[in-house]
Amino acid sequence: MEERADAEAVLGPARDEFPQPPVPEQAPHGRRDFLRAAGFAVGAAMVGCGRAPVERAVPYLVMPEQVIAGRASHYASACGACPAGCGVLAKSRDGRPIKLEGLDEHPLSRGGLCAVGQAAILGLYDSHRFNHPLRDGEQTSWERLDSEVMTALDRLSEEGGPIRILTGTIHSPTVLAAIETFVARFPDARHVVYDALSSSAIADAHERTHGRRMLPHYRFDRAKVIVGLDADFLGTWISPVEYTAQWREARRIGGSASNRAHHVQFEARLSLTGTKADRRYRIAPGQVGSLLSHLAARLAGKAGVEFDGAPASDPPVAAAVLDGLADRLWAARGESLVASGSQSVLDQVVCNFINHLLQSYGSTVDIGRVSRQRQGNDRALETLLAEMSRGAVGALLIAGCNPVFELPRGADLAEQIRKLPLSVSFAERPDETSEACRWVCAVPHYLEAWGDGEPVQGVLTLQQPLIEPIGGTRPLLETLAAWAGHWRPAHEMVRGRWRDEVFPAQAADSEFESFWQKAVHDGVCLASGETGAAPAAFNHAAVRPSPAASEPAAGRFAVSLYAKPGLLDGSHAYNAWLQELPDPVTKVAWDNYACLSPKAATEAGIEEGDVLRLVAADGGGPLELPVVLQPGQHDSTVAVALGYGAKASERFAGAGPEWLERGESVGPNGRVGVNAASFLRFADGSLSPTAVTASVSSAGRRHALAATQTHHTITVPEHLAPRGAARRSAIQETTLGELGSHGVPGGEHPAAHDESLWRQDHEYPGHRWGMAIDLDACTGCSACVVACQVENNIPVVGRDEVHRRREMHWIRIDRYYEGADPELRVAHQPMLCQHCDHAPCETVCPVLATVHSDEGLNQQVYNRCVGTRYCANNCPYKVRRFNWFDYARDDPTENLALNPDVTVRSRGVMEKCSFCAQRIQEAKIEARRLGIAVEDGAIRTACEQSCPAHAIVFGDVNDSESQISRALASPRAYRVLEEINVRPSVTYLQVVREDSGKGASSG
Amino acid sequence: MNIRILTISLGVAVVLVGLLTLDAVGTWPLPGSQQGYEPAQPIAYSHRLHAGELQIDCLYCHFGAEMSRHAGIPAASVCMNCHEFVTAPLGALRGEDELARRENRQPREVVSPELAKVYAAMGLGKDRKPSPGTETRPVEWVKVHNLPDYVYFDHRAHVTAGVACQACHGPVETMERMRQARDLSMGWCVNCHRDATENGISGRAVDASVDCVTCHY
Repeated sequence: MEERADAEAVLGPARDEFPQPPVPEQAPHGRRDFLRAAGFAVGAAMVGCGRAPVERAVPYLVMPEQVIAGRASHYASACGACPAGCGVLAKSRDGRPIKLEGLDEHPLSRGGLCAVGQAAILGLYDSHRFNHPLRDGEQTSWERLDSEVMTALDRLSEEGGPIRILTGTIHSPTVLAAIETFVARFPDARHVVYDALSSSAIADAHERTHGRRMLPHYRFDRAKVIVGLDADFLGTWISPVEYTAQWREARRIGGSASNRAHHVQFEARLSLTGTKADRRYRIAPGQVGSLLSHLAARLAGKAGVEFDGAPASDPPVAAAVLDGLADRLWAARGESLVASGSQSVLDQVVCNFINHLLQSYGSTVDIGRVSRQRQGNDRALETLLAEMSRGAVGALLIAGCNPVFELPRGADLAEQIRKLPLSVSFAERPDETSEACRWVCAVPHYLEAWGDGEPVQGVLTLQQPLIEPIGGTRPLLETLAAWAGHWRPAHEMVRGRWRDEVFPAQAADSEFESFWQKAVHDGVCLASGETGAAPAAFNHAAVRPSPAASEPAAGRFAVSLYAKPGLLDGSHAYNAWLQELPDPVTKVAWDNYACLSPKAATEAGIEEGDVLRLVAADGGGPLELPVVLQPGQHDSTVAVALGYGAKASERFAGAGPEWLERGESVGPNGRVGVNAASFLRFADGSLSPTAVTASVSSAGRRHALAATQTHHTITVPEHLAPRGAARRSAIQETTLGELGSHGVPGGEHPAAHDESLWRQDHEYPGHRWGMAIDLDACTGCSACVVACQVENNIPVVGRDEVHRRREMHWIRIDRYYEGADPELRVAHQPMLCQHCDHAPCETVCPVLATVHSDEGLNQQVYNRCVGTRYCANNCPYKVRRFNWFDYARDDPTENLALNPDVTVRSRGVMEKCSFCAQRIQEAKIEARRLGIAVEDGAIRTACEQSCPAHAIVFGDVNDSESQISRALASPRAYRVLEEINVRPSVTYLQVVREDSGKGASSG
Repeated sequence: MNIRILTISLGVAVVLVGLLTLDAVGTWPLPGSQQGYEPAQPIAYSHRLHAGELQIDCLYCHFGAEMSRHAGIPAASVCMNCHEFVTAPLGALRGEDELARRENRQPREVVSPELAKVYAAMGLGKDRKPSPGTETRPVEWVKVHNLPDYVYFDHRAHVTAGVACQACHGPVETMERMRQARDLSMGWCVNCHRDATENGISGRAVDASVDCVTCHY
């Protein structure tokens, strides 16, 4: 976009291929500097002269079974980073988990794992975690906590004082049973559940239309027409990894192109899901209801069902669009799915009506086996908050959520919590809520404790501990049991419940012990048992038209609060990997911001980077946020990400390397970003992220955002571009029509030419590694970026360094825009070292630190590199990263997350994607040990493994039967910058559009 | 003129000294080489006795070498497989037996001071049964063969290929105290890899890659 606008301010530095940071005025060197330098010199000289350090080797006294030093074991478990309940396979080396992978056998996540799930390993080795319980902020013992809390509970019980347990979504049957037992002991106790990213309205709507409060299990894989309304189901909505796998399944281009699902998205801001839709329409956040009503009226007409709800106002998109969509949906009835993320119950009722008319219930919307991934009940939460403000609560136990941070008026809630006779927070690390609570029960990370889950009815998952708890923590399950007077280890409780409840409900195994062993081994078990009472028939009486959309008053913007795929509700704001992960659409890291459409910004005289002051119409706020111009956004909408400004991000005050020009990673509030929860509102019993309109004014200052899109651009500066190649087509597209007619997809490509400085191609007698990335499948979710960071010990550099284009990610995702609003198209392109056969980097290295291997790898040898950076300069794909500093590795606990199989690079050396050479070596050596050939699929790179859309395939190109060879044979296969004839080993598969735009877009 | 003569004579001198020390230069260790490193160990374990005299297979204790990157230093529990019963060298036991026979009494138990350290580490009591409450303390061996952190050597690959342990570790079966016999430099590794690819290992053809990424990643 910056390129199209040709904004010199933005692009000037981007064109400059090798930008240098401005040099500040040097402070005169004083005596201290001299002494420092002298001391360093003496120290360095002494280090240089000394003998190698003595290393100790401390073996076990008694060797644990199955542990062999240096050999990794893998254990199945269930991800606990969010309630989606994906399966993980945890890799453990020498008794400590170091990497999480997706669990292929998991029926929901199907081998994928999102960025947050990948990053959870850092949470385990977080030295800021609680490792003992607290009383009034002071360390205490579990015995004291138990006895005092139990006394307080007993007193409340006698007095009949109300006891409330407030949690986020918990779908563990064992924990839910424990909470139920606990609640039953007291005369007035209640369990209240809410989600910071709430889907409560969907459940409420089903209560009205189907007589039961439930969240259906959506099946995008069964749909032929998918309509999303403000539902970012590929990014953040309910269970994104699962939905991405399903969506990919539905859109896979198999035998016939006509089988591919058609995806239409209506939304206010450009979400990840919107970027992948076939058709995308911009509507204001409040117009979802109106749109649904119009659609319902058309479908009701086709079905011959009465619907008196067609609103008087015009639909927010052209009537012809809705007519066409209704036709398409109706033609695919039984195989279509309309999913709305609206938090208005009325909207959702109409949405249910549509799905009912389309016969989606039972096929694409499963209410036989419902989802438990969001159980929040905002009405109950509102009641609880009212009780709190009346002072009518005796005890509040808070687990798995951070209401002071996540809810509007959090500060008031904190005050109310402080006044309570008993307040307990179950937390992993200090947060806003644990600060307000008198007691803090330190809970373990999910990799340290036994647990179970049931994300979707009938899909039971098991969590097993990979490591002894690092601190003195105790799981919620055990604490509740202790307070109920019968403490048992969590393992026993989980196992007991599985023996009594799950084992009888399955038929596969007749022995409990073997069933249990298998369940622990698999991490997941499908219960064949009952699906619960059938829901009532559709209640037509409940369907009422949604009120007409009200446009925000002139000069005001409708606020749309959303979650970023990397940060979700902010419960992982402590995680440096996630903070440094650029947003997939805006490409901004380390901040949240206010997104405005370029048109709206121009009209208001606002430029990118200006700090805006948002004041809600009802007096909420103000929020001061820098502006990002976001094409594809509705013109009267301002979008702000939730999850920022968390207390947990205070730790990043010192993030990044220490040097003279160092800049801060945190804002003036001492935290990363600003908390936008104050703009959430309760509207008709739902916690709505879109209920506020706000006035926008300039705060009179600017804030430079750390946006990575213009970093490492592969565009050639115009004065250097040969043969008019200033614009290069990195993204190629094709259409369904072209694919169907077996023509050359994607139209004209720049011709590859064969002239070369090299005499011969390399010979690859054995293996030849290659990778194919399907751009049609890639959603840009960035799971691969974090997976790579974990696997390859990639450092975090901090906000200021990202701003200086020194981020270290080996794989980046380039986002390309094509066309303009309202016909904007987007493509995501993972860009990593292409391992070129004629690698330009290899020829310019003066010390042979980057050379070609016999298997097609472009090798980077850290210990040889002297840091000339010639290779990075000569790399056409701009994928090489230079260690400008020795990045912080001074937290011994955090260092336990390092992969022992990959060198930790030091200052002054170049690094880049190695195609996970450590995994290749491991697989080759292991195959040799077993006397077998390296099987296709035995080597999976970290990015490939993690991809929820299975967009990446890695393998041996010399093996004609391999998956990679099949991918290369696809008519969609192309290489980026083929015209410069560097012969990359990474092949991309073209994006598939339903109809032709203008062909290939340009970088 | 004088300067030219001085320069020439200096040059000649340098060449002469160079020629004289050529032999010595060839045997100078590379900077950072730890060849000959023979640190004292917390327990005077003798490879000569175990691997040489008693001919215990290397892989009996270093079983990791077959299936892992690391050969591993055996856990104390592996020592106890034999030393639960063998508490002292044969000579000491025979001597005590002889003495007891001469003094006409039951032989006393003989425990070698080095093995006593193993028992102490494991917190074993008099009868070499675990005595509860005794502190256990793993043995901190001093690592002899250290490679830099950027080198990934894999024992498994070499054992599978049939490389003898002694090829890298030297005549361990003759060493009373473990010593680094080779310099473990990259040139030394690469030469062996080249040689193995060319000539095979014990008549078997192998492909010992010399790609950087074989060891550096």
